[in-house]
Amino acid sequence: MRDVPRYGKGGPLSSLFDWVNVLVMLVFISIMVFPFLNQLALSLNDGYDAMKGGIVLWPRKVSLSSYELLISHPKLLRGALISVLRVVVGTVTCVFMTGLLAYIITRPGFSGKRFLRVLFIVTMYFSGGLIPFYLLIVRIGLTNTFTVYWLPSILNAYYMLIMASYMQNLPDSLTESARMDGASEMRVYLQIIVPMSTPVLAAISIFAAVGHWNSWFDVLIYNPSGTWDTLQVYLRRLLLEIEALATVRDMQLMQSRLRNVSTVTYRAATAMAVTVPIVIVYPFLQRYFISGITLGAVKA
Amino acid sequence: MDAGRASRWRRIKRRFWREREYWLISIPLVIWVLIFAYYPLYGLSISFLHYTPGMSIVESPWVGIEYFRQFFFSPDFLVVLRNTLAISGLGILFGFPAPIILALLLNELKSLRFKKVTQTISYLPYFISWVVMASLIFSLLGNEGVVNDLLRRAGIIDRAIPFLGKGEYFWWLITFANIWKGVGWSSIIYLSAIAGIDQELYAAGAVDGLGRFGSVRHITLPGIAPTIVLLWILGIGGILNAGFEQQLLLGNPQTREYYEVIDTYAYKYGIQLGRYSYATAVGFLKSVIGLGLVFLTNRISKNLFEVSII
Repeated sequence: MRDVPRYGKGGPLSSLFDWVNVLVMLVFISIMVFPFLNQLALSLNDGYDAMKGGIVLWPRKVSLSSYELLISHPKLLRGALISVLRVVVGTVTCVFMTGLLAYIITRPGFSGKRFLRVLFIVTMYFSGGLIPFYLLIVRIGLTNTFTVYWLPSILNAYYMLIMASYMQNLPDSLTESARMDGASEMRVYLQIIVPMSTPVLAAISIFAAVGHWNSWFDVLIYNPSGTWDTLQVYLRRLLLEIEALATVRDMQLMQSRLRNVSTVTYRAATAMAVTVPIVIVYPFLQRYFISGITLGAVKA
Repeated sequence: MDAGRASRWRRIKRRFWREREYWLISIPLVIWVLIFAYYPLYGLSISFLHYTPGMSIVESPWVGIEYFRQFFFSPDFLVVLRNTLAISGLGILFGFPAPIILALLLNELKSLRFKKVTQTISYLPYFISWVVMASLIFSLLGNEGVVNDLLRRAGIIDRAIPFLGKGEYFWWLITFANIWKGVGWSSIIYLSAIAGIDQELYAAGAVDGLGRFGSVRHITLPGIAPTIVLLWILGIGGILNAGFEQQLLLGNPQTREYYEVIDTYAYKYGIQLGRYSYATAVGFLKSVIGLGLVFLTNRISKNLFEVSII
């Protein structure tokens, strides 16, 4: 527990400030965390008891039935599967392809790199907007498909810049010797650049993965039929009370023992299910996304 | 003449052959960007045409700025503009300084471990989706939610306060929701900037008699000023982007008059009502003004602060 080096005088006002600061931070932490704890408490509470109100931080009448109902719902399991698939496919394809793009625009031996770079940078500033993009997706038949989740976002100019700036700083010696040995560019990319770029690839992967996990609007407009619903969309349907009621009633008809679930607790359980994976994972990835932001800032 | 041109062509061909791997890789990338980024730009042209799906763009009749005029003179225009500017304005007023203050406070913490823990926790809301966020908000601020429940039990109110049901509350709701969700994440960049300040300056400041607060005023703040100005430019440039997901999730018919912003308006008329040309015109107008604002604020800041992003 090393302390930050202090310069300058410290007086009574300074020490007071330190205490107030800690207090403020504690309040801040509580504000950040409280809504999650509340939702967790609701999800672990008996449904009908929860509807009486008063659940703040702890469940009053503990019950796992909301979660039981959750995992027995086929739509939910399908949604979870599709969400996971989307994150994996979307992130891997995006990072791989954008990385490849970033790689070739840093190659000194490529005369088209400036053209390519500008071609993509322009897309960061100029965009057709929602409607033309929507019409395009409809036109090329990507509605009601899984492909619409990863193909239209497989290349990203912003990520390209961040990765290129990192790859630029890799020593040329590695790639030169490989090229002289006759390796193809793809092999150089796969066997040398990718392993050497793990920090930046990790950072971009986090951004891409979170984006895919949290997406719901594109599912709504491109895949309205419901066959490709992700977890977020499933949760969104529950936000509409009427839908939530219908879902819970349906499930209770099928599983008569799970009678003590209400829309409030069921929605809370779903929200927890969608959030917990991220909550568990993100603290370990801090190093990467912080460096990703810093790299991006330098680029800007 | 012929010999010169022929040999130049031969040189170009040789270059292409030498770099063929790069060009081969480029092909799918260029095709992709032409389809998914440039074709929609071409699609912007439907804002000047009477476009119906089924017909191709070239077949549709030209209507000029008809749809732009329709939007500008529609009764919705002022309301939508007002909402957009109000939400963005509040966002900038409260949401811009918040991460800066957080970063400065975090930087003053004496315990490194406490600072790291606080930082980690502050990122948490950023990673959840707005759908989950809406669920949290409903549970807290709904008529049957925690806040209303506690207030009622404490006898402070008789009937539930319709936090989500009253239009006038919406702007505050969305502003503070945005801040709660984004302040930790936004503070990262300021903390990076603070870390990038030369530590020698602090030592020198101490020698000159700068106290703790003095060094913040005279060293830290000026040190991160470029970052602040940069983000300020981006913020102002994005003033017409007042959110979209939030409104769709948190809004309801009772609050529509206050939550409808340019983007949700374009969504409603475009995708929900099928008036593609009209909605495209709306979005186009917004993009153009937004870009203009970015250039304008960039120019001003270049003259005032010598900081620019272009």
